[in-house]
Amino acid sequence: MPKRKLGALEKVDADLPNLQHKIRRDPTSYTEDFRAQYYQYENHREIFMAAPTSATDTGILSLRDLIDFVSHVADCYPEISKSFPQELIDILTLYHTILEPELREKIVGSLVLLRKKNIIDSTTLLQTIFPVLTSTPSKNLRTLLFAKILSDLRTSNSKATNHKLNRTIQTVLYNLLTGDRTSSKGLWAVKLTRELWRRQLWTDAKTVEIMKEAGVAENEKVIVGGVRFFLGGDKEREEFEEDSSDDDGIDVSRIRHQVGINKKRKKATKALSKATTAVKRKEKKRNQPHPLNFSALHLLHDPQGFAEVLFSKHLQNPKSRLNLEQKLLVLQLVSRLIGLHKLTVLSFYSYFLKYLTPRQPSVTTFLACLAQSVHSLVPPDILESLIQKIANEFVSEAAAAEVASSGLNAIREICVRQPLAMNDTLLQDLVMYKKSKDKGVMMAAKGLLGLYREVGADMLKKRDRGKEAALGLRSGQRKQQVFGDIPAGEIEGLDLLEKWKKEERQRKRLEKGLPEERSDSEGEEEKEGEEEDWGAWDIEADISDDSGGWIDVESDKEIEISDEGEEESVEKKRVKLDVDLENKENDAPNTTETKPSNLATTRILTPADFAKLQELRAQAAVSLQLQKKGHKIHHPTAQSVPLTNSHRHMDDPLTAAEIEGLASLSKGRISREEKIAAQDEYKTDRAEHKSKAARKKERKSDEGKSTTNKEKARKKNFLMTLGKAKQKGKRSLVETRKVLKVHSERGKRGGKRGNR
Amino acid sequence: MSKITVAGVRQNVQQLLDYSLNEKKRNFLETVELQIGLKNYDPQRDKRFSGTVKLPTVPRPNMALCILGDQHDIDRAKHHGIDAMSADDLKKLNKNKKLVKKLARKYDAFVASDTLMRQIPRLLGPGLSKAGKFPTPITHAEDLNVKMTEVRSTIKFQLKKVLCLGVAVGNVGMTEDELISNIMLAINYLVSLLKKGWQNVGSLTIKASMSPPKRLY
Repeated sequence: MPKRKLGALEKVDADLPNLQHKIRRDPTSYTEDFRAQYYQYENHREIFMAAPTSATDTGILSLRDLIDFVSHVADCYPEISKSFPQELIDILTLYHTILEPELREKIVGSLVLLRKKNIIDSTTLLQTIFPVLTSTPSKNLRTLLFAKILSDLRTSNSKATNHKLNRTIQTVLYNLLTGDRTSSKGLWAVKLTRELWRRQLWTDAKTVEIMKEAGVAENEKVIVGGVRFFLGGDKEREEFEEDSSDDDGIDVSRIRHQVGINKKRKKATKALSKATTAVKRKEKKRNQPHPLNFSALHLLHDPQGFAEVLFSKHLQNPKSRLNLEQKLLVLQLVSRLIGLHKLTVLSFYSYFLKYLTPRQPSVTTFLACLAQSVHSLVPPDILESLIQKIANEFVSEAAAAEVASSGLNAIREICVRQPLAMNDTLLQDLVMYKKSKDKGVMMAAKGLLGLYREVGADMLKKRDRGKEAALGLRSGQRKQQVFGDIPAGEIEGLDLLEKWKKEERQRKRLEKGLPEERSDSEGEEEKEGEEEDWGAWDIEADISDDSGGWIDVESDKEIEISDEGEEESVEKKRVKLDVDLENKENDAPNTTETKPSNLATTRILTPADFAKLQELRAQAAVSLQLQKKGHKIHHPTAQSVPLTNSHRHMDDPLTAAEIEGLASLSKGRISREEKIAAQDEYKTDRAEHKSKAARKKERKSDEGKSTTNKEKARKKNFLMTLGKAKQKGKRSLVETRKVLKVHSERGKRGGKRGNR
Repeated sequence: MSKITVAGVRQNVQQLLDYSLNEKKRNFLETVELQIGLKNYDPQRDKRFSGTVKLPTVPRPNMALCILGDQHDIDRAKHHGIDAMSADDLKKLNKNKKLVKKLARKYDAFVASDTLMRQIPRLLGPGLSKAGKFPTPITHAEDLNVKMTEVRSTIKFQLKKVLCLGVAVGNVGMTEDELISNIMLAINYLVSLLKKGWQNVGSLTIKASMSPPKRLY
């Protein structure tokens, strides 16, 4: 055994890394060595444990080295080092406050290493280091532990979600928050949960429940952490995802180009294929739908209870120690909860009364919160007093323009959500501001006017109603809204689709040379219709088979295709039906006209149908607009303003900026200094002036392209050209003649590259 | 499955009715439910949809209704034999959460006279809206019977915390044609609500209370 001899010759005990290396290669042969080292480690440990405070430097040093060594090779000797992890855990949990920092770090590192080698499981590791994280005074250790916890959770969730581990950790965090509500230790739970939510590792209701507990804690920092999570956690998640998706931009076209021009090498082609697959994979990942990301606000178990507790604990409670900024955050959260889930917290609205004055700091946020918390199930009488107060305090001739415009905007935002909250005298007063000289106020008033033209034209004065609304009122199309009434929905534009189908049928009949007003029994029409449907479906199916999924049917081309299909099928049908048609021509008139909503109940609308429906709806809207343009219309902008609200995603918050709205327009003309400042802003990002040729040259060199021959000649070192120049002067007459002749001949051909 | 056809729906409905009426008849009126699975739907980006639609035939005729009304409406309700409560009765509940919850659980839907409507949140607190049973308003001018049928035949699509939903679209006591037209209307309406139409629909299944499910799409 030469190898064994060699090992014996070396000073194994002193050279731990060397031994470690050898053990890795051949564990069985070095069992005895390991046993010896392990024995040493145990000795050191016992000495340390006996008096942890008075350990000598050398003792600590060797203990650290030994721990490092044992943890690296522990997987080779599971029997010998059985108690090792537990011993480390004990040292760390008992003495983490008094341990020498480097040794402490080593122990944490070793534990993580043992976890990586699967000697201990994640739960044990996390349950060991999490309590240390929350109790240690050392900042370095905290950052280290936080990073380790996070990375361990990430790795254990990387392949598949480790539900068991997640649940235990979530319970630990939950208990941390609920156990002692006044301590700031809960901040670690908030921090960890937020980070994991951002990385989409935790997306379930339990996570949200943890944050909910943070929101109702006693410690201000914890409260704000929890509230901020609900207000911005989802946005953060989205942004993070976008960031990570486009970090390493691989330009495939560039690589392909380089492969084309450079010398063919295996390496280059390999790189190309690698890049293309990477890009493809990324593309695929981007197109994949999200598994299921509900926002945190939607995952709340009991929003009503949460909102009530938040409101009574942090806002109503006079003993609450939150400052205004923190209170505003809580207020935003409560109002979003109320608006989103349509909760009933009636005392919430009266809370606003004392804050609704223009002098109140950040009053626009208050206004935005109030508007946000209004929904269709809030009793209008509660809101009426609030609107009255806003109107009195903010909207008056004496008030500054931006105050008035933000007041009007707030009133409009409230009324968009609950139109019944307005009474007609106040509305008529407010609408008068559309004549205001100030642009912000004028626009805000027009917005309000436009809104009420749609939702309650009868409350406006006759001259303000506008033509469309007045006509609608007279013909009785516009219904008075009733509180709590949710109108039954219908498929929008279904009648248009039906009409179109009928026309289409008639058109085809005309093409065939049949009489236009063919009357047909309903059953037959039904059959025919079904046939059309089938055609449309088949085409859909064919295409989707090719691409392996549904594709958008919005393009015109596709609709055309399906039309053709219909025609074909109709043609086929026609042959069969021709005989019947002759008999039925004089039958009773078409019955479909009497029952307009038949379509939806008798057939399944195909994707093509829906596409057509959308098109028809858009057409109808456009034609309506055109109609309006034909006649004179006074306030084209006012009409479009209320729409902006419905376009917003329901989950998006209403911000103070929206309430302030066009207040910037109210500020009057900008001064000379401001103008100069604005110009300077543009100046800074303009590059130094250069000629076109110079810019082109710069661009080319940036792209890594070479220079032209002319440029090369121009830039050539003078000394290198000297020889040729000298030579010119020493030419003999014959030589000179030859050169001149060639030159003149070249000129006759049209230059060096002249075409012959 | 790549497509859904009227004939396919008819066949499935026939099978379903056959099972519930002949093969294994139960001692109660089974309700037919439409179950929908969505796909490619991102609840955070796409607008959350919710909508109500009125079906041509009443799907659940035995729905328990309660009228919260003034004297006039209570009299009308008595005339039709429907349970009714006055404002005083509601005041007696005293916003007690348990009692309101009990009330909400007792009935499937509520109708309130429009005079009382505005006071409902004050009288009862969040209990009713929490249960998704906020009352429908009725004026004195409206016919009570018509309103009752309207409330009974209105179904509500609402997405909760999961990407699937189910609605009652009929019962096995209905005829095949009635059931089919109800199902079709429900499907068409649902698809019109979705942002990407059929691309968002993962599956459609109908099922009576005690029958095996039948997949339509």
